[in-house]
Amino acid sequence: MKKFTLLSSILSLSMGVFAQEALPIKGDEIFGSMRARHIGPALMSGRITDIEGHPTNNKVLFAGAAGGGVWKTGDGGVTFNPIFDKHNQSIGAITVDPKNPDQVIWVGTGEIWTRNSVTIGDGIYKSTDGGQNWTNMGLANSERISSIKVNPNNTKEVFVGVLGALWSDSQDRGVYKTTDGGKTWEKIFYVNASTGCSDLVMDPKNPNIMYASFWEFRRTAYSFNSGGENSALYKTTDGGKTWNKIHNGFPTGKLGRIAIAAAPSNPNILYSVIESEKDADKGLYRSEDAGASWKRTNGDFELVVRPFYFSRIVVDPKNPDIVFKAGYNGSVSKDGGKTFKAIGGGIHADIHDFWFDIHDSNRIYLCDDGGFYRSYDGGSIWDMAKGIPVSQFYQVAIDNQTPFKVYGGLQDNGSWVGPSSKPGGIENRDWISVGAGDGFRTFPHPKDPNIVYSEMQGAENIWRINLEKNSVKTIKPFPESNDPKFRFNWNTPITTSPHNADRLYVGSQFLHKSDDRGETWVKISPDLTTNDPAKQQQENSGGLSMDNSGAENHCTIFAINESPLDQNIIWVGTDDGNVQLTQDGGKTWTNVTANIPNLPKNTWAYFIEPSSFDKNTAYAVFTGYTSGDFKPYVYKTTDAGKTWKSIVSPDLKSFVRNIKEDYKNPNLLFLGTEGGLYVTIDGGQNWSQFKNNMPPVAVHWIALHPTEDALVMATHGRGVIIIDDISPLRQLTKEIIAKDLHFFTTKPTKMAESGAFGGYARMGEFVGENPNSMAQVVYYLKSRHTFGKMSLEIFDQNDKKIADLAPGKSKGINYVDWTYSLKPPKVAKGKTIIQAGFQGPTVLPGPYKVKITKGAKTYESTLNLIANPKSIHTADDRKVQFETAMKLFNMSEELGYLVDQIDNYKIKIDSISPKLTSTKLKKQFPVADIASKMQTLKETLVVLKGDNYVGAAEPQLREKISGLYGEVLSYTGRPTNAQLASMKVLDEKLSAAKTQMEGFKASLDKLAPAMVKAKMPELKVRSFEEFKAAEN
Amino acid sequence: MKKTIKLLLASVLTFAATFAQAQTAEEIVNKYIEVTGGAAKWAELKSVKMTAKGKQGGMEFPITSLQKAPNLMKQSVSFQGKEITMSAFDGKETWKTNFMTMKAEKGEAEDSENAAKSMDFPDPFLDYKAKGYSIALEGEEKVEGTDCYKIKLTKKPIKVDGKEEEDFSFYFFDKENGVVIMNRSVMKKGPGKDQAIETLMSDYQEVNGLFFPFTVSQKMNGQVVFSMAMEKLEMNVAIDNKEFAFPID
Repeated sequence: MKKFTLLSSILSLSMGVFAQEALPIKGDEIFGSMRARHIGPALMSGRITDIEGHPTNNKVLFAGAAGGGVWKTGDGGVTFNPIFDKHNQSIGAITVDPKNPDQVIWVGTGEIWTRNSVTIGDGIYKSTDGGQNWTNMGLANSERISSIKVNPNNTKEVFVGVLGALWSDSQDRGVYKTTDGGKTWEKIFYVNASTGCSDLVMDPKNPNIMYASFWEFRRTAYSFNSGGENSALYKTTDGGKTWNKIHNGFPTGKLGRIAIAAAPSNPNILYSVIESEKDADKGLYRSEDAGASWKRTNGDFELVVRPFYFSRIVVDPKNPDIVFKAGYNGSVSKDGGKTFKAIGGGIHADIHDFWFDIHDSNRIYLCDDGGFYRSYDGGSIWDMAKGIPVSQFYQVAIDNQTPFKVYGGLQDNGSWVGPSSKPGGIENRDWISVGAGDGFRTFPHPKDPNIVYSEMQGAENIWRINLEKNSVKTIKPFPESNDPKFRFNWNTPITTSPHNADRLYVGSQFLHKSDDRGETWVKISPDLTTNDPAKQQQENSGGLSMDNSGAENHCTIFAINESPLDQNIIWVGTDDGNVQLTQDGGKTWTNVTANIPNLPKNTWAYFIEPSSFDKNTAYAVFTGYTSGDFKPYVYKTTDAGKTWKSIVSPDLKSFVRNIKEDYKNPNLLFLGTEGGLYVTIDGGQNWSQFKNNMPPVAVHWIALHPTEDALVMATHGRGVIIIDDISPLRQLTKEIIAKDLHFFTTKPTKMAESGAFGGYARMGEFVGENPNSMAQVVYYLKSRHTFGKMSLEIFDQNDKKIADLAPGKSKGINYVDWTYSLKPPKVAKGKTIIQAGFQGPTVLPGPYKVKITKGAKTYESTLNLIANPKSIHTADDRKVQFETAMKLFNMSEELGYLVDQIDNYKIKIDSISPKLTSTKLKKQFPVADIASKMQTLKETLVVLKGDNYVGAAEPQLREKISGLYGEVLSYTGRPTNAQLASMKVLDEKLSAAKTQMEGFKASLDKLAPAMVKAKMPELKVRSFEEFKAAEN
Repeated sequence: MKKTIKLLLASVLTFAATFAQAQTAEEIVNKYIEVTGGAAKWAELKSVKMTAKGKQGGMEFPITSLQKAPNLMKQSVSFQGKEITMSAFDGKETWKTNFMTMKAEKGEAEDSENAAKSMDFPDPFLDYKAKGYSIALEGEEKVEGTDCYKIKLTKKPIKVDGKEEEDFSFYFFDKENGVVIMNRSVMKKGPGKDQAIETLMSDYQEVNGLFFPFTVSQKMNGQVVFSMAMEKLEMNVAIDNKEFAFPID
């Protein structure tokens, strides 16, 4: 044991001075109520792969996203909610149980449109409560599920088409069957390890008849192959026991991907789209005898384009001759497939699926690389759903503006800049386009807020955009006379420098540097890749259909980062597995790949993060998924790449794409994995998945704001997700987690200034969440508070309690918001309700005491409020605002008390009036007369009729003071002179009313001795203090 | 109070030892009823009057809640001396105060019919079988960092926009001490349809032998949207049925 301690202390020494002991807490216990917010955008949405409807309720539809989970609408496609947020976000197929459609839903994970950026699934899921809860029912290694068919006569019997692994051989493919609702599965049809089931169709009338298309396919990092001897279309007529090829009329030779559909209104009519060797026999085939024979009907572009991406054909449920074909733009035939026309424009390209309304075939839904669309006219005009934020970012960058802006590029949806905060929330319209095509790395100029760099696929263009002037200049490097052709990755690395604001790096197989914003380029490296010619045959890529889009470009630089501590240190990672380092600004390079232990050869060096604590320290992450290796690879070096140590723990469940080191605590690291965000607080000994409002979506890039401490994630399927303040995580130590309650040190809260107008999104539009503008009390609780009392109070500098807050009770980190305003004034009762009664003045900047009482124990801390340093208001302005607000606050309460006295006198006087029977008594005690005069006064003080809307009565003094008070509170600077003057006028009126009231009271006081004599009850009302303290 | 907590802790500790083995939904629910006071004691409860402080978006307001067996309820808030009924059910009809006119208005007929089916007092798990409800253990889940059993409670079917639907929600029982610390339900209709609301219970305290959560908070999407801290809880006070009835001007 002792030996071990010694050894570990040596180890920790070698890890640097910051190394610390492993912390024995994980997950929920660390994060507590720390929470992510989603800012989308949904403006461009993202790739949606599958649409499924409900068999009887046409308002219910499900959309499965390529990387953004399952979305449900219950209103025919106006609003959508995500219903699969705890599970794998890559969706292959969704199926609703035909007999129990409100309860049972099946989701097969793993997208089947096998583009280069596709990710992997983790099996099949089932919900039995309409999508609230999901259970993984197995097929864990299926990687991608193409179809799920439920036997309508026995819904425990389900058939699943598994397309399977894309980058490797796999036995987990073919057709699977369960007879017990998914508890157990049997593989009932299998072809071979490279051929999977790309489509499974059940005869609409006879569940014993099924059609299964099988596709031989393979992708590597540098090539794609579609087709082979084993691609085929099969039919079973005995519920899957035997399968026979139905190729009568099909092309001979190798086949590729095959789409298949049966007409719901006439099951003998089948359509199949075939990828084959010869252009002359590719295209659409139709059978009128349930597959016994086929005839080719059409070979137009839309029918043959990119079969791996568009092999779907959908038949109108009522008319067997109306067929929609997914495709580049999509097309429709109304004559049984003989001729086609393009479907309407104005929609994003790359269509993947259609769904017909069950009652009205003119209502059609489609999904593509840019979201979900609905048509009401049979598919001519399409309207986009603007509330599905499944945008697929490849990267994200932030700037130093206030609020900071977010930059990033998306799969097939260009590059964008948007705000991290906006009055009313971040709407789709707040995003600005800064690039076309597929977008990838997008960076702001580090100093000039008007300049943005972006690119499109394969560096076909690299742009410098001037946002102010609305100009774009193409700035990519070109080969010089002796240079070979430049090889750029599909996702070409571009980056800026922490040292030179005008510097820009771009990687081909060489590293290119510009110190003048991209005007001139210098090549500062030799070819840093393996330059393997076998991996550079992209013109032959695609298989039966050539597909040389640039997506398979290989032997390229993928990661570039300059050390924040030394501009001569630059780390480069290549897609073919090299890690290269220069320590002299590019004069000499060292390939350190061989020093990395247990890393398979040629594993993609995806990201390298130079440390901001020590220039010899760096982190590198690698992905092997393009060769079917889904293991996480994360390494750290502390000696400039000579030795590397793995910082992977068994907590990590999927492969890794990005890592971010904290700026203040070197043991705090953030890891972007294919299954979500992981965090370590002990330098990688333990990793915890962050799950609070954070689905297990692929995190491709992480940015960390150096002063705001906001962690900003580029997710490949759920847009940009932000955790606003990660600073408490820096403070977690073994000592703290042993305490019952610990207050974290928080940065002073910059008080929010009055905002402008904003917020005009309508139903169905996504609105990104704003950061919390309130002050937050942040503390750690060792265990959840479930029994006994717990309170949280705020005190001012005079130890006067000014707020009662609802304490958080989670085990872990709790955040409690404080609006830093005083309690509202106690206003006069009237017929209506006024705004002033809901608002308290904002307090002045300064320290405030926080006190938590938990059972018998109390815990204290301080919270500091500071004026926003960028404020347009002076300290003096703020003081005048506060004093004016307080004056109006007090006026409201004085008026409230005035009315309270009148009301109470009235009650008392009403109670003695019956005793004043004689004229003499009435004359001796003219209390009724006084009460009546008070009532007349009250009518000038407060509205006593009308309602809170358009039936409102003419405002009285209460309403006028309230209105002015509201105006003063709504602006955090100096009130206008008109407002100050108005306050004076209202104060004079209030004083006059008070004087009048004093007169009435004096009259009553004069009567008091005689009333006592006459044994009348005393006419005394409660004090101002009693009025304040009372509930009513 | 101190004594109460001590007593409770003792019972929780002994309970924790036995509870660790609890497996079935029925055992979990029975233990819950036992640890919060016992079925016999709960059966004696016929009405509850609570006064509380509500907090929402930085505002604070007094709340009064009346509940009476078998299913009558009324929740009111007080603003500037005006009582506003946020929700009430007289056994047949639901109603609430319109904020513009400050007058009572009835809920949709379907909502009233649903309330008649789903409202109950004092606790849905008491005699759940007799009430026609069913329960199922749906595994375990962490709530606020705490290990919980997840139980699905299904009441009688209700109607949503004219269509019959199952009425169920999920209750989370703290594995360590057996009390419910959260309910998760999904909004059935309206603009928030399909969105989950989580109701968190804490500050359990004893009143005449029964344990009640003195703080109840509601979260949507992980954020607290409403919180209510009990100040006073009176049991078996006489409440006239008229209190729950739709007011006639």
